[in-house]
Amino acid sequence: MPKKNHRKYPIVNFYWRKLAVFAFLFAVLGLGYTSVQTYKADTNKYTPPTDSADLTIALKIAEDGSVIVDGQKLKQHIDTSGSSDELILPILDNTGIGYSSVHILMTLPKSVVKSSIYEIKGIHGVDSTSVAAISDKVIDYYASGVGPDSTLSVIIEMPPGTVDPPLLFKLYAAVANIKSSAWYIVALALPILTLIFMIGFITVESKQQKIDIPDKETDSPPMALPPAIAGVLYHQNVGPREIASTLVDLAERGNIYILDKERDFAFVKNRYDQRLLSYEKVLLSKIFRASVVSDGAEIEQRINNHLYSKKISLVASGIYVLSTRLGYFKTNPQRVHRKYQIVGMGAFFTGLACFLLSMLVFTNPPYILFFWAGMMLSGLIITVTARRIPNRTAIGQEMMSNWLAFRKYLSNPEKIPFSFENQELFQKNLPYAIVLDCEVAWAKRFSEQDFVLPNWYVSDELSPGLQDFCLSLFPIVSYVARSLASLKEPGFE
Amino acid sequence: MNNEVNTEVAPSVIAPQEIDVSIGSRSWLYKLIYGGGIIFDLTKWLVLILVVLAIINTLFFSVFVVSGVSMSPTFKDGDWIFWSKNIYNDTKPQRGDIIILSYPGDPTNKTYIKRIVGLPGEKIEIKDEYVFVNDAKKDEDYIRYSVGTDPGGVWTLTSDQYFVMGDNRPNSNDSRYFGPVGKRFIRGKAISRLLPAFQLTSDM
Repeated sequence: MPKKNHRKYPIVNFYWRKLAVFAFLFAVLGLGYTSVQTYKADTNKYTPPTDSADLTIALKIAEDGSVIVDGQKLKQHIDTSGSSDELILPILDNTGIGYSSVHILMTLPKSVVKSSIYEIKGIHGVDSTSVAAISDKVIDYYASGVGPDSTLSVIIEMPPGTVDPPLLFKLYAAVANIKSSAWYIVALALPILTLIFMIGFITVESKQQKIDIPDKETDSPPMALPPAIAGVLYHQNVGPREIASTLVDLAERGNIYILDKERDFAFVKNRYDQRLLSYEKVLLSKIFRASVVSDGAEIEQRINNHLYSKKISLVASGIYVLSTRLGYFKTNPQRVHRKYQIVGMGAFFTGLACFLLSMLVFTNPPYILFFWAGMMLSGLIITVTARRIPNRTAIGQEMMSNWLAFRKYLSNPEKIPFSFENQELFQKNLPYAIVLDCEVAWAKRFSEQDFVLPNWYVSDELSPGLQDFCLSLFPIVSYVARSLASLKEPGFE
Repeated sequence: MNNEVNTEVAPSVIAPQEIDVSIGSRSWLYKLIYGGGIIFDLTKWLVLILVVLAIINTLFFSVFVVSGVSMSPTFKDGDWIFWSKNIYNDTKPQRGDIIILSYPGDPTNKTYIKRIVGLPGEKIEIKDEYVFVNDAKKDEDYIRYSVGTDPGGVWTLTSDQYFVMGDNRPNSNDSRYFGPVGKRFIRGKAISRLLPAFQLTSDM
């Protein structure tokens, strides 16, 4: 018999809405960066008068280190991060106006001219430059033949402590002076310490909420629970397995058919069951909307063209609420996840914002970037590990122990002996096997049985065996469930 | 294939390695690449690429686009230069190195590419269109044969200063005009030309 080629389902595709979001993000980043650059350029620039060929500029350095030129306060500030209090100011830069002479009279905040180093630099068309001290506090920078394209800069290095800058500038200077090795260490230590803390926290909590690992196995579910509820008890999270098991469970209960054709797969609505749970109804409405048949292309379009699905969010909430009402969790796991997500994502985006800001603010090698990268990594660690923090109540722990005993039975490597009664056992427990991460082990137990195809599964293949069934069904429900699970919230899952 | 299986009874035996076991669980790498909510799915690579590129570009390597002809014939206007930012953390700049430096009169906004001619402590003299280092005439095979160096002058470098010049002596604003530069203004070393044709600067 020729072997069937089982389909591979796409992992990611490009859709216009996703591309639009990407384009929007790029645009916001680009515009933000450009506006900051423009702002910097505008506020730094001194505009000289144009009505005279001989220019005299009054430049004053205030006690707080701010720079005032002809009464106009510049954004530029005395740099106190080095071994001296320094100002390098390109006062005329490509102004488009030529001057026969330029005098810049710089007034210092203290009488430190004698202990200061000062010079004037002129390029791109400056005939000559000179500099002279007029008094203990005033320096005359002079340039002649200053061309319209030239750059004229005044420089002064005053003794440290000459100016008393505001706290923010002191902080900047202190940060700029920290050695690169210190930033490397902090950047590494931050995520490592976060990881150690989270692991320690989870370990301590796990010890306090110890779940008895059962010695013996149970051959039936400990309670007639929907598989998704058992799954959230097991994983503490609504993920692809909870959705996949719900789909298979709905099929098993006769609510839907799953069709696997050569070219495509499809879900077909069978009958409307009043006893469906609310989250199951919402899940079905997401897949089918108003139609009876929903093929692979429709489902794919419905899922992947969306950034976030309110319905899938409701499905997840419904499962969480139900499991919490049953008394399995101290607090709704969704709330716990969200709390840590806020902390983790807060740290991540704060780190990202400061990372970008540092690139703009710090001119010399901004090794502080490593610190912010470490902070972002720590945020991700918190977000990812938080879902592992045990949250089960005593009832939940006891029930979990019972489900583990059932899981032990499902994943037992011993083959189930052939009998007609056992033929339907496989499909009956398949939703639980999916949700307890052991569907393959469960399938292997039936390798010595004559496989009876479930009546809810329709294939174009003549009498498919167990292997063909698994190789066809699992990728379909896996693809649909993973895609749906990724839509349950507009953020990190 | 499992040897225990009686293929007559069970013709469609499960071959464990062939079954897609991944209904929900995947490797950590898979989850990192494809897992997570959709916004995260979209932004994580953008953020990761941004952060990694920013760190590399800010601290380690970058690309400098030459503007002007001051380094001609070694580099022409519009050439793309790949340069290292941290190479001088452990080593000292050497004579002949082509460096990227901040103009000492406007270090925030003006970046130049020049060649190191004089090292700390040396006496540089330009006389009769030639460069003398500690009174010894220097052979400069990287400048055009017919081009001389003007204007004349003498500079004595301190322990932290370097004398830099462009290879196109008549058309370069360099230490002859703005004086020797302190090491803190040297931002890195040009490693190679990327465009229009790849060439290592050590061969230039």
